[in-house]
Amino acid sequence: MQIERLNQFFTARLARAWIVAATAAGMFVCSTMGRDSVAPIIGNAADCVVKLYGKAAGREHGYGTGVIISPDGRIITTLSLMVSLRGVKVVLADGRRYEARLERTDEVRQLALLKIEATDLPYMTPHSAAHLEQGDSVIALGNWFKIADGHEAVSVCKGIVSLRMPLAARRLAQDFDYQGDALILDAITANPGAAGGPLLDVEGHFVGLVGKVIESVHTNTRLNYAVPGEEVIAFLKSENADSARGASDGLRRPEAQSGGETSSASAASDRTKRPYIGVRLARLGYRHVSAYVERVRPGSPAAKAGILPDDLILAIDGRRIADADAYEEVVARFLPGQSAAFTLKRGPDILVVTVIVEAEP
Amino acid sequence: MMIISVRHRLAVSRLLAPATKCSGKHAFMLVPVALSLILFASCPAWVFASPGANDDIHKFEAARARVVRSAVDAALPCIVTIETVGGAQPLLEGASRPTEASFRMADGPTTGIILTSDGLILSSTFNFARDPSIITVRLSDGRRLVATLLARDHIRRVALLRVEAEELPTANWAEADEVMVGQYAIACGMGLGEARPFASLGIVSAVNRRNGLAVQTDAKTSPVNYGGPLIDLEGRVLGLLVPMAGAGGGALAGVHWYDSGIGFAVTGDRIAAVVERLRRGENIEPGKIGVLLAEQEPGVLNELFEDLFPRSRGVRIAAIADPSPAKRADLQTDDVVTALDGHPIGDIADLQRKLSDRAAGETVTLSIKRRWRSFEVSVVLARSSDLGPIDAPPVQPEPAPDDNVPPPGEAPVPATQPDAD
Repeated sequence: MQIERLNQFFTARLARAWIVAATAAGMFVCSTMGRDSVAPIIGNAADCVVKLYGKAAGREHGYGTGVIISPDGRIITTLSLMVSLRGVKVVLADGRRYEARLERTDEVRQLALLKIEATDLPYMTPHSAAHLEQGDSVIALGNWFKIADGHEAVSVCKGIVSLRMPLAARRLAQDFDYQGDALILDAITANPGAAGGPLLDVEGHFVGLVGKVIESVHTNTRLNYAVPGEEVIAFLKSENADSARGASDGLRRPEAQSGGETSSASAASDRTKRPYIGVRLARLGYRHVSAYVERVRPGSPAAKAGILPDDLILAIDGRRIADADAYEEVVARFLPGQSAAFTLKRGPDILVVTVIVEAEP
Repeated sequence: MMIISVRHRLAVSRLLAPATKCSGKHAFMLVPVALSLILFASCPAWVFASPGANDDIHKFEAARARVVRSAVDAALPCIVTIETVGGAQPLLEGASRPTEASFRMADGPTTGIILTSDGLILSSTFNFARDPSIITVRLSDGRRLVATLLARDHIRRVALLRVEAEELPTANWAEADEVMVGQYAIACGMGLGEARPFASLGIVSAVNRRNGLAVQTDAKTSPVNYGGPLIDLEGRVLGLLVPMAGAGGGALAGVHWYDSGIGFAVTGDRIAAVVERLRRGENIEPGKIGVLLAEQEPGVLNELFEDLFPRSRGVRIAAIADPSPAKRADLQTDDVVTALDGHPIGDIADLQRKLSDRAAGETVTLSIKRRWRSFEVSVVLARSSDLGPIDAPPVQPEPAPDDNVPPPGEAPVPATQPDAD
């Protein structure tokens, strides 16, 4: 009992001390939390973000996000069925409403440019994301799930850049056709309505455009990603050449032009010479099976490289070969004369052989 | 770099300390915290926009990004990419073919970490749910090696593999008792197929989760990083990322919680405890007693008993499987289990939690109350698949002993009870 009372006494004293100490600490925390908040970084970015509403089609949502990039009402957003249909409504941060006109689209970069008839709008200029590395903080703004009503500001989330890589993804069971590098984000942006929102770096620069909901083919899980700012810039620059819709169809990506050895563009342009390896893979009816070698034609590039029947082709040039279809796909892009590293599994061993691709005899 | 990382770890941990360590008695300590939060909320905007504040943010953000990169760099050599060939899509438990509800596994790369320099590699059982015919491992230096799956631990969701190699770089593990709630944690995984891992930054949300098996994190965990490490800012491994959320023990259980902010990493000490068994090729499965449980019915005597000995009410055995460990130990319907290995049992969930990390083949001691008699029995836990049908007094058409959903007649069994134990 005595101890209990003593305890109470001390805890009461302690409590008062705590209140003083913790209030002081709390105020300190306040100031540090203030500094650690994203508030100053966002600045007036939210004023430049617009909410888009249009027609839903199938499983495509009828709402999204856009960024004003000029005072006279040009708005960049992600390409979607909604923006390609008529009657897209734009709601500015101050609640004003406009009807948008679709100016241009870019299927390769999955971007679209809208225009509203307005003047003196707040706007943001896209910046390159080339300086962003793994771990760098980024902030995304968007009209997620249409949560922001009328005048309400769009939602904000903060995360980090995780990787910069090409996308291998699908959307609603279709392959997702985006060719360039994307910024993979450690932030949940893959939600309805988020696409077309800006990605900001800690300086508050507009460094990317949040992409739409897609699933990685590697994992079957949603990818949170953004189209890097330099792709947005390249899309906007391409306008000077031809402002008609669809002008970007003729647009070649720099990577494709430089023509890497396995570039599909260059392979497709030279259909007269079909690549020849000389390997026949095992097939079980129409089923997808692993790329097991059934036969090797004597004297063929495969035979010269030392590939044997029953070898399992694991990878070509480091790219994994999951099944016979993947093998055909990779081989179809080869050009005669080029060399390719085949990673094989033979019994318990893994070996790498170099195959010199020839033209089909 | 060290200084920065340690400081931030402390800062975040301290911030959370009063809230997490608060017992009921010290609840008043939250008052000042709440007061300061109100102050914080009512702070005028100039506090945040004061000159110099922006500079501090930029310094802080840049420093944190550098620390994240250096942590990933430090862990990188011990992280491997696992590729598999063959196998079939796993089924939902009890399903005859994949359904909409089941998660469809992709065939992309997955992640593992090097445990020993002579080629033992840890990963998650999730990555081998297809039972692939061929497994290869790509080391951080680019070498590809054929791997053999030695064994799987279905309790910890950990798989052990072996590759023929020497002098591999091994993971540097953090001491389990040093891990603090609130410290930064980075989930790393090779699932996107790049040379550098996907990194997700979060904090340790809880320790001693899942009956002490795992730390919980709000970093994003998914098939991208199952089997990979959760690391601290020095690149030390806090745990092995596995899907462990929700109930049920199927190969894909927990994957539906991917990227939810509720992720789990099995701690090194809990893995070390079973590595020898896994290395010998022994699979580890959850141990079952083979009984259907029911809460004790309230009664004057029971309530009096509980007043005298709180949290030792025990749970009633409603039905017993045959054959089963319970049958072999001559347990009877309406026996009350009051303790497991001397630890009092409060309710069904309590018993299930205490049993959840006990493997089939292990022996547990049950304290049993039968009418006015109390005694102890030892039972050797069995695999769920070795249990016979339950000889239930409530007449049910063959209730499977490991049904996830209790039969409709079993009113006293709460919906949260995943298994018959």
